[in-house]
Amino acid sequence: MKRMFLPLRICLSLILFLFIGLPFIALLISSIAAGWQWPDLFPETFSFRAWEYILVGSSGTWQSIGTSLLIALIVMIINILLAVPAANALVRFQFRGKRLAEAILFAPIIIPPFVAVMGIHLTFLRLGLTETILGVVLAHISPTLPYMVRAVMVSYSTLSTDWENQARMLGAGPIHRFYHVVLPHLLPGIAAGASLSILISLSQYLITFIIGSGQVVTLPILLFPFISGGDPAVASAYSLLFAGMAILALFSLDMALKKYYQTKNPSVLKVKGAKR
Amino acid sequence: MWRKSKPYLLLLPSTGVIVLLFFGGLFDGLLKSLGYFPAIGENQMSFIAYRDLLGSESFWESLRLTIRVAAISSLLAGILGGALAIALFMLSLSSKTKHSRLWQRLFQLPLTIPHLVAGYVIVLLFMQSGLLSKLLAAAGIIKEINEFPVLVNDAFGWGIILAYTWKEVPFIMLMLYPVLARIQKSWRDVSRVYGAGTFRFIREIALPIMMPSWIIAVFIVFVFTFSAFEIPFLLGVTYPSMLPVYSFQLYTSGTLAERPEALAVNIILAVMTIALGLVVYYFSKRWKITKGWQ
Amino acid sequence: MTGLHIEQVEKKYKTAETDLKDSFALEPIDLAIREGEFFSLLGPSGCGKTTLLKLIAGLLEGDAGKIRFGDKDLTHVPPEARRFSMVFQQSLLFPHMTIGENTAFGLKMQKVGKKERLSEAKRMLRMVGLEGYENRFPEELSGGQQQRAALARALVAKPRLLLMDEPFSALDPGLREDMRELLSGIQRELGVTVLFVTHDREEAFELSDRIGIMSDGRLLQVGTAMELYEQPASSKVASFLGLKNIISGNIRAGYFKSEDNGMEFQTIHKMADGRQFLILRPETLRPIVSNSQAPIGSVRFKGAVSKLKFKHGAYTAQIQAGNLQLECALSRDEAEKLEPAQAMELYVNQSDLQFVEH
Repeated sequence: MKRMFLPLRICLSLILFLFIGLPFIALLISSIAAGWQWPDLFPETFSFRAWEYILVGSSGTWQSIGTSLLIALIVMIINILLAVPAANALVRFQFRGKRLAEAILFAPIIIPPFVAVMGIHLTFLRLGLTETILGVVLAHISPTLPYMVRAVMVSYSTLSTDWENQARMLGAGPIHRFYHVVLPHLLPGIAAGASLSILISLSQYLITFIIGSGQVVTLPILLFPFISGGDPAVASAYSLLFAGMAILALFSLDMALKKYYQTKNPSVLKVKGAKR
Repeated sequence: MWRKSKPYLLLLPSTGVIVLLFFGGLFDGLLKSLGYFPAIGENQMSFIAYRDLLGSESFWESLRLTIRVAAISSLLAGILGGALAIALFMLSLSSKTKHSRLWQRLFQLPLTIPHLVAGYVIVLLFMQSGLLSKLLAAAGIIKEINEFPVLVNDAFGWGIILAYTWKEVPFIMLMLYPVLARIQKSWRDVSRVYGAGTFRFIREIALPIMMPSWIIAVFIVFVFTFSAFEIPFLLGVTYPSMLPVYSFQLYTSGTLAERPEALAVNIILAVMTIALGLVVYYFSKRWKITKGWQ
Repeated sequence: MTGLHIEQVEKKYKTAETDLKDSFALEPIDLAIREGEFFSLLGPSGCGKTTLLKLIAGLLEGDAGKIRFGDKDLTHVPPEARRFSMVFQQSLLFPHMTIGENTAFGLKMQKVGKKERLSEAKRMLRMVGLEGYENRFPEELSGGQQQRAALARALVAKPRLLLMDEPFSALDPGLREDMRELLSGIQRELGVTVLFVTHDREEAFELSDRIGIMSDGRLLQVGTAMELYEQPASSKVASFLGLKNIISGNIRAGYFKSEDNGMEFQTIHKMADGRQFLILRPETLRPIVSNSQAPIGSVRFKGAVSKLKFKHGAYTAQIQAGNLQLECALSRDEAEKLEPAQAMELYVNQSDLQFVEH
C-alpha cells in the first residue's frame, strides 16, 4: 500500500522542485551572477555587487521598505477598525439591506480597484492627496478591506453569543465583554485578515503609481524599472528581497499569534463557541 | 430602537469608506468617461469616448487578447491545480503523517509572491536566454539561442499565461483541498471493498465531488486574470495589450483627450467583471459550494 | 419586600432570533421568589422556561410587565448591572483564561483587587471540590469539573440571585447526581437564592423548595413538591408530574362517569356537573382480599391483572378494568398473591379521590 504511493511521491517532489525550487534558484543565481552568458548553465563569475548595491548603496531600498511597511500597517489598522464592527453586523444581525451591504463591501474583490483609483485620481489631485502617503493609504483600502471583513466574519460566526451572555451575567459591561471575550476569540481571524491586508498592500504597483505619481516610493515602485529591462542581477536581488519581505511579514504575524496563544492557551484555536 | 439601528451603525464606517473611495471612484470615472469634467470646463455628457473606442481596432485586439490569455491561463491553472490537489489528497489518504500539511504549505508559496516578482521569475526562466533555454542547450537539445521560442513579451501572451498559471495553481488547490478533505477515509475503504482501484476511486468519487468547486475556482481565476495589470504590463507587448494595460497606456499617453477613452475602457472592464462575478455568485449559490469553506 | 417579583411579564416572538421556527409567546406571568429559596421552573422543552429565565436575567427584554428585586425595579436595568449570575447548559468557561481567572472574572468586573479576587476564587473552587485547579485551562478539565468551575464562577461574586439553565443536562447521569448534591449543599451553606430551570422532574423534586410547572408559555401551578403531587391543579400538571391513572369523565348529579363508560360511581365530593378528570394515585388503589375489607361508601372496580412489574424495589400491577388501564402499587405480600390474567377487585376510599377540572 505504502509502496504504491512511492511513484506519486517522487512525481510530486519533482513537480515541487520545478514549481517552487527552480524559480528561486534562478533568482538566487541571477542575483549573484556577474555576467551570465548563454549557453552557460552557471555564470562564470559571482559577485555580491547587486546585493551590495541594494542593501548598502544609496539606492533608497531601506527607505522604500519603510514606506511600504508604513503604508501596509496603517492600512491594516484602518481595516481592522472598519472590519470588526462590519463583520459583527453581517454575522449577528438580520436586517434589511444586508445583501446590499455585503455586495458593497465585497465588490472590490471582483471589480478591479485600479478602475476606481483612475476614476478618483483627478479628484485626489484637486484635494492634494496625490503624491502623499495618505493618498496611497486611502487608495489601498478598497482592495484590502473585503478580505479583512471576510476573515473576521469567519471568526464571528464561530463565536456564540452565549459567551457574551455569560460575561454579562458576571457583570461585564460592553467594553469588558469585547476586550475579555470577543477580542480573544476574533484574534486568529483578525490576524488572518491582517496578513492578507499586508500582503495585498505590499504588492500593489499600479494603484501606488497612479496616486503616488512616483513620489511615494514603495518597494514595487523602486523595483519596477529594474525588472522591466534593467540590470538582471539587481532585479533578481530586489525580487528576492521583495518576496522575502512578503513572506517574512506573514511569518512574523503567524509567530506573534502563536506566541500569544502559547502564553495563553495553546489550544484556543480549536475551541469553537457552542453554537445552538 | 437602538437594536434596530445598531447593525446599520456598525456597517456605516466600512460601507461609507468603500462607497466613497471605491464607488465614488467608479462614478467619478464614469462621469469623466462621458466627458463630464467641470474642472476643465466640460459640462456636456456624450458617448464620444465609447463610440471612438468601440470603433477602434486596437480595443478589439485588446479584448481578444485579454479573453484568450485569461481563458488559457485559468484552464491551465485549473488542470494543474486540480491534478495536484487530487495527488496531495491521495497522499494524505495513504499516510497518517503530517507531511501532507507540509506539502500543501510548500505548494502555496507562490500565493504569497507579489505579482511583479512572479512576472520576473517567468522572465528569468522563459526568456530566450533564460534558464530553461540554457538547460536545453546544456542537454544538447537546442544549438542556437533562436531555437528557443519567444515566450516572453510575445504577441500571443504566453509569458502572461505562464506567470498567471504559476501564481494561480496554488489558489485552485487552496479552493479544492477543503472540498476533497470532506471525503471520508472510510469512503476509500468502501470503494475498495466494492472493487474500485485508485483510478476508479478518483474518477467515480473524488472528481464528481470536486467538480462544482473546480468550475467556480477556474472562473474566479478567469475574472482575476481579466483585470490584471502588473504581469501583462511586464510580460506583454505594447500592441496588442491586455485591457487594463491598454487603459493605462491611454491614460498616461499625455493628451487629455484620450483620458475619457481610458476611463471608458475601465467602465467596460468593470461592467464585464461585474457580469462575470454575478455568474460566479449565481452558480456558487446554486451548487452551495461555499458551505464547505465558510 | 424582599426576593424576586415578576409581574405580568410577557414576551412574543416571531423572528428567527431564537432559532424557534414557530412564533412563540410567553403569556403574562406573575411569580414571586423568596430570598434564600431554591425555586425550580419545570416544564418540557420549548415551554418557555428558558425564555422566562433570560427575561429575568435581562438577556431578553420583555414586551410588558415588571421585574423587581426587593424594592428595586430591574425591568430596564441591563443584565450586567443586576448582580445576578447564571450557569448555562454548557459551562462556557472562557477558553483563553485559566480556571482561576475564569472564577475571578465576576470580581474583576466589580474591580476587586487581583490578590483578593484570586484568593476568593480559590476559596470558591475549594468549595466545589476543585482545589488546586486554579492554573489549569478549561479544556484540561472533564465535563463535570468544568460545570463545577462554572458554578464556582457564578457564586464567587455573591449574586443576589443565581439563575441556572439546565446546568446538568449535558452531564452523565451519575455525575448529575453528584452535582445535585453539591449544589444543594452549597446553596444551603451560602443561603443563595436560586432559580433553576429543568425538564427533569426528579431533579426539580430533589432540589427545590418550591416548583413552578410551565407549559406552552404558561405558568400552570406553583407549589412545594408535596402540594403539586397531592393537589395538581390540572390534568396537564398531573401528567407532567408523572401521575398515573388520569381518567377523563363527566359529573352528573353527583355521579362520575368515565368517558369510555367503563366506570361509574357516586361521589361524596360536592361538585358542579361537567367535565372532570379523576386522578387515582397508584398507592390509593387497594386490592380487595376479603369482603369485609372495603369500607362502606368506597368506590370499587373489577378488573384483571395484565402485568406485574418490579421496579425500584416496589411492586406495581397493571390492571385492566373495562377499557381502562390502571396502575396499582402493591406491597410484597399483595403482589405475591397475584398472577397475570387473574381477576381481582379493587377499592378506593372516597377521601382519596382527586378531581381536577381541566
